[in-house]
Amino acid sequence: MKIKSLKLREAHKGSANASFCSILWDLNAHHLVTASSSEPSISIHDPLLPSNPPRVLRHHRDGVTALALSPNSTCLSSGSIDHSVKLYKFPGGEFETNITRFTLPIRALAFNKSGSMLAAAGDDEGIKLINTIDGSIARVLKGHRGPVTGLAFDPNGEYLASIDSIGTVIYWELQSGRTLYTLKGVAPDTGSDTSILNVLSWSPDGETLAVPGLKNDIVMYDRDTAEKLFTLRGDHTQPICFMSWSPNGKYMATSSLDKQILIWDVNRKQDIDRQKFDNRICCMAWKPIGNALAVIDVMGKYGVWESVVPSSMKSPTEDIPSSRSKNSNGLLFFDEEDEEDQELSMSGSLSDLGEDSHGESEPPSRKRLRKQSVIDDDQHEDVYNELNLCTKTEYRKKVHRINKESSDKERDGSRSMMTFRPKMQEAFQPGSTPPQPGKRNFLCYNMLGSITTIKHDEYSHIEIDFHDTSTGPRVPPMTDYYGFTMASLNENGSVFANPCKGEKNMSTLMYRPFSSWANNSEWYMRFEGEEVKAVALGGTWVAAVTSLNFLRIYTDGGLQKHILSLNGPVVTAAGFKDELAIVTHISDCLPSNEQMLEFRIFNISKGTQPFKGHLPLTPGSYLTWFGFTEEGQLSSYDSKGVLRVFTSQYGGNWLPLFSASKERKSGENYWVVGLNASKLFCIVCKNPDSFPQVLPKPVLTLLNLSFPLASSDLGEEALENEFMLNNLHLSQIQKRIEVMADEGLDTTPLDDEAFDIEAAQDRCIFRLIASCCNGDKLVRATELVKLLSVEKSVRGAIQLATALKLPILAERFNNILEERLQSKTEVLKTSLPRSKHDRNVKADVAASMALTATERSEILEPTFSSSSAKLSAPLLIKKVKSSDRVKFGKPKTDGDQTACLEDSREVNDAGKNAGPSQVKNLQTQRPSNPFLKLPNNQEEKKVEEVMSESQSQGPSNPFFKSSNKVGEATGIQQSHRPSNPFLKSTAK
Amino acid sequence: MAGQSDPHISLFSAEEVEFMAEDELIEIVPNMRMDPLNFICGDFGPFLPQIATQVPMWLAVALKKRGKCAIRPPLWMSVENLTKVLEGERDSQGAFQVLPFHYVEISRLLFDHARDDIPDMYMVRSLIEDIRDVRVHKVETSLEKFSGTSAVKIPNLSAMEVNIIRPFVGRALQAFYKHDNPEKIPDVDRASSGQTRVANNEPRRPLRR
Repeated sequence: MKIKSLKLREAHKGSANASFCSILWDLNAHHLVTASSSEPSISIHDPLLPSNPPRVLRHHRDGVTALALSPNSTCLSSGSIDHSVKLYKFPGGEFETNITRFTLPIRALAFNKSGSMLAAAGDDEGIKLINTIDGSIARVLKGHRGPVTGLAFDPNGEYLASIDSIGTVIYWELQSGRTLYTLKGVAPDTGSDTSILNVLSWSPDGETLAVPGLKNDIVMYDRDTAEKLFTLRGDHTQPICFMSWSPNGKYMATSSLDKQILIWDVNRKQDIDRQKFDNRICCMAWKPIGNALAVIDVMGKYGVWESVVPSSMKSPTEDIPSSRSKNSNGLLFFDEEDEEDQELSMSGSLSDLGEDSHGESEPPSRKRLRKQSVIDDDQHEDVYNELNLCTKTEYRKKVHRINKESSDKERDGSRSMMTFRPKMQEAFQPGSTPPQPGKRNFLCYNMLGSITTIKHDEYSHIEIDFHDTSTGPRVPPMTDYYGFTMASLNENGSVFANPCKGEKNMSTLMYRPFSSWANNSEWYMRFEGEEVKAVALGGTWVAAVTSLNFLRIYTDGGLQKHILSLNGPVVTAAGFKDELAIVTHISDCLPSNEQMLEFRIFNISKGTQPFKGHLPLTPGSYLTWFGFTEEGQLSSYDSKGVLRVFTSQYGGNWLPLFSASKERKSGENYWVVGLNASKLFCIVCKNPDSFPQVLPKPVLTLLNLSFPLASSDLGEEALENEFMLNNLHLSQIQKRIEVMADEGLDTTPLDDEAFDIEAAQDRCIFRLIASCCNGDKLVRATELVKLLSVEKSVRGAIQLATALKLPILAERFNNILEERLQSKTEVLKTSLPRSKHDRNVKADVAASMALTATERSEILEPTFSSSSAKLSAPLLIKKVKSSDRVKFGKPKTDGDQTACLEDSREVNDAGKNAGPSQVKNLQTQRPSNPFLKLPNNQEEKKVEEVMSESQSQGPSNPFFKSSNKVGEATGIQQSHRPSNPFLKSTAK
Repeated sequence: MAGQSDPHISLFSAEEVEFMAEDELIEIVPNMRMDPLNFICGDFGPFLPQIATQVPMWLAVALKKRGKCAIRPPLWMSVENLTKVLEGERDSQGAFQVLPFHYVEISRLLFDHARDDIPDMYMVRSLIEDIRDVRVHKVETSLEKFSGTSAVKIPNLSAMEVNIIRPFVGRALQAFYKHDNPEKIPDVDRASSGQTRVANNEPRRPLRR
């Protein structure tokens, strides 16, 4: 085993004798608190800068023997040989009060889980339970025969365990103050040496109690029966004097009189690491965040042992057990604060009544326990009922409880599925975070700005900030007497709503415009017997969905415009310009834990409902975000990290466009804020946080949208993804063009955009074709070629196939191009009769159409066996027609062969002005047009035939010739047309 | 040591080194919307509120001065990392910890212009000062030791540190070389005279800011 040396720093001087010293971390691991029983001062160190002098609190008159920090790290208490127990503010260290006095030195202190009660004990008879709020003594527990040296509150708040110096352990029931079990002589007798204190400790899940044993070991006792469960026995050669559970309860650090520290894997009952010191370590504390252990020895020297648990094993702070996290869950903390008031009054009465009344009045911690179990029971009831029935304070709790539970499920789906019945998801506002005591939380966070709130005693303080400080309106902060919990924000204003709290505090909806020409244009709506569940804001309207499943729509001036009844309890709502989208439950969730949700889109200004349908979610997940993209597409994000965007493809469908599990780097959660056509905007939260804090200001991260593609044999997921995304964008744009064209608006900018995307799509397809060719996926390559939108790209593909020596493929590509050109000419020609041409031209058109129809059978096979002069006559007419078509109107009637060649040049020139597609074709072709350079020779006839084909097809094209006339033409033409790719390939 | 006591001997002044460091990229979070900027040194942007983007230091400082962005301190500038680096510097006598080439200048610029963006600013500042002191001290002690060589290799030295010791080391090495190879004196003289001319081009015009 590797022995690392750990440097210790002096924290406390004092006598040369060994003296008991204490060390503690605060909740966030920002401070280390140390004290020594030989010195009256308490030091608060900064673990990051150990060289800085610590903050020293000197209030005791003698050595400090015990320290305890309240669980939320706001209150430090210390006990001393001078018989007093003092309270300080933390981390400031301001002295608050002497909370109690004993007649003999204090040896042990402990806070309960909520910090409302402090237990103190020492050489006196009796353990005092002190209410931290008013300092009243709730109870004195008498039963130990020797000085009490260790105290531990059970994390679940039912029991207190204590140990004395002669080795007796007592379980106390807090509710009644009775001793439940007394275990005599289970721990070593420390005698009169006050530098050794027997200690004991509950595991973080509260299921086991660890006590030092008589055989240099640690003995674990059961929580409820106090039976011996197992022991941790190893290389300690002397009795154990201190132990500490890691925050997750998987590991334990023990220190012994033999000056060693051992780290144990509790489940395997094995020691995994050790460290030897010069002096006995008398106190240790696991760092609450990370993997480190703070130690202090009897000479007052302390240090932090980093990476205690090997990196190959689970971190000591990973997977903090559920009972603990339930209690330390921010939301419940909030509850506890509420309850503290109750406790205050209750314990006040308790102390008034004196100790006789213990039988009737319950100690506070028990009360809390009860209340929690009530909530747990509630959760097993149908949430649907709760929506309407439960009291409103509990309602808020449950939202987060359920969310949290579902996230637990996410972690461990199978197990929780068996133990929990799936719940219907509670209503939520997109972009909101749960309230946390003493901290700001988001009521609304979107691409535009944020609304934050912080609760003070009676009222809340709300701030509205825009991300873009230069253009957004400046909104003064406001004081909120209603306790708003829902909000929504857009450019024009903000809407707020609160749930109702009891009879007096009705549910209220408030709208606050940011700029209005009239004064006092904000308005309020009150709801009697009804409660707002979700709000949304659009261009000129405000919507609120209530507990009676009413959708209420207001104008931004406050006019009550519509009230609609919805099908089920609402989940969430979102607005964008004219469109309002609402998600509701259809039914209870499936046994497989799938939420059954339905969405509806309303167009408020038109009063229509363009879409409604089932809202798909990943199995076992719930909706966490719902909103519109910047372009106005509806989108949703679920707790399994799948983003879906609604498209009208296939009659209205949700496309999964992003999957966090594909993207996720380990330990990151994505909190979605918004998205646009190609990017997802989100805030990255480090595990275990699933939502961001208001401070420091969160920064948006851009993630690429990507379809959850299967890994194909081609290995070009990125390209395939781009291909699909481009297709999606193209279809969206085309739909918008249609809509705008219907409305008679100018679509030019959209056309340009569509053209850009088409070009990008062609590039993408081209790269895909290349990789298909390389990967020998020829069928897929031909399919891709068919998808190319510009003929130039097809030609490029032909060249590519030729270069890659795939003549079969090149031929197929040629055929595709051929078909495409044909169909294009047909389209062109059929559109021709509409334009005003003279009769002659019309006749020509008809002739040429007939020609097109028959060209395959007649022209392609050289059936024109007549003389060249005969042949050139119809040709010329066609040419005239084509120049007419482009309104050059330069008819030529004489049938000379050379004229014919010149004419083809003219037609090309004329064609330049004909239209974008033709221009493209002609331009690309002209340089390689072989006919202009052809001499009059014996092959002329065939050439002319070829020309007639290309002419009749509108934009001329060399490859007809190549495909049909190869036999005759190759030999000569090749020399003249080195740039024609097809000939090259056939020549090979 | 020589370079530190007399800044005029060093090849570049501290301002000039800082000026060069302003080309380093740093991440900012703008709070305004702006189109991409196309500079000779590259294209930066587009700038969207609350979305981080990389820009050169000088641009970040200019935007910061106008209250248009928040600068995100680089990753190495965290208290944890700096504490680790400082400990590493103190522990290892010979070697230097890996820090950005321009760490002195970057931190100085950020301390001057973006105080509010650096969490634990005073801590970071004192840590960086400590690190710099330790490193400079180390450089100087190691320079005391070298002898009889014609080349010195010190990995992971930063721009400012190199700048401080460069003239001294250069001349010292030349001196060594000269004394080792008396027959090559004419060559060395020529070279060194060229070198000194470059190094002594004072009075130096102060950089316009």
